[in-house]
Amino acid sequence: MVKCSFCERSAVYLSRASNIAYCKKHFLRYFDRKVRKVIRKYGMFRGKEHIIVAVSGGKDSLSLLHYLSRLSEKVSTWKISALLINEGISGYREVTIKDFLKVVNKLGVDYSIASFKEEFGATLDDMVKIGNERGLPYLPCSYCGVFRRYLLNKVAREMGGTVLATAHNLDDMIQTFMMNLLRNNWERIARLGPVSGVIRHPKFVRRVKPFYKIREKETTLYAILNNLYPSFVECPYAQLNVRWIIRRQLNQLEEKNPGIKYSMLNALLTILPLLREKYAEEEFLTCQICGEPSTHTICRACLFRKELGLL
Amino acid sequence: MAIKVKLPNGDLKIIDDVNEMKVGELLEKLGLLREEYIVTKDGYVITDEDVVVNGDEVVLYAVVSGG
Repeated sequence: MVKCSFCERSAVYLSRASNIAYCKKHFLRYFDRKVRKVIRKYGMFRGKEHIIVAVSGGKDSLSLLHYLSRLSEKVSTWKISALLINEGISGYREVTIKDFLKVVNKLGVDYSIASFKEEFGATLDDMVKIGNERGLPYLPCSYCGVFRRYLLNKVAREMGGTVLATAHNLDDMIQTFMMNLLRNNWERIARLGPVSGVIRHPKFVRRVKPFYKIREKETTLYAILNNLYPSFVECPYAQLNVRWIIRRQLNQLEEKNPGIKYSMLNALLTILPLLREKYAEEEFLTCQICGEPSTHTICRACLFRKELGLL
Repeated sequence: MAIKVKLPNGDLKIIDDVNEMKVGELLEKLGLLREEYIVTKDGYVITDEDVVVNGDEVVLYAVVSGG
């Protein structure tokens, strides 16, 4: 039995990067301190906030909702609400919605569910089918990412949210960093900070990532220790995304070189100020069709809708 | 006697050619990465360095989300 480095209890987590073992109590304390430090360092929340937590029903977002809900009990001027986007992925999303409802009801958190079908007139499954029939060159994750981000911002604003918290963790960040590095897309990398960086628009809800420095293994353990771990279900489209391959390779690297993920995140944090300087002047435009924030005169969501015949 | 391993998708793997091994070695034997799983025994989370023996039943939780 491996013992905790701080007490006599059995360890539940062994950080191979720092060679420290944690029992349940000390792991939760370590986790809490690490998240609080990120929140404080990057000024994620102000005195009065309506925090909208983007929740998919997966372990990371359920953990974030649980964590912020607990934290908000100590701050009477914070209100927490949850927002789930139902893309319409058959055999997948209906399962995670059940897990989502179980947790929001248990925590007593207000919530809203917005769907692709209601907002855009088609589910993601429909979009993929139409895209294939029309010979469009996009992967399912391309539609999903664009429409999901669009709805998160729009509905969070409609809910009266002052800040949108997403459960992106360290692993997500370095995977996205690597994906954009491979595509030589530095403008996208400039947006990978713990708080939304270069985007300025009156309709844009500020975004924060409190789990920015938390490893996916740690958010998973937090979920298990707090009885939040949801049903095991995989998105049928996930393996089509290059992220799937990069994630596996980064995990293999970490296995052989403990600590390499932290180094990658630090590399990202080192380059971010330089990139922000380069892209600082960028003002977001307003989409001429839907009136939402956009980097171009017509936003990506409206372009997709046009191509799919949904506009 | 054997070590029974319940995978996240519900499948069961049986390891019957060793008496005891570390959790990390068990995952390696199954071709899995330590980075991608959390292991429990009798409902309690155990670490990669803990030892499991013949007769134990462990449950694997996926760290990598499928979404």
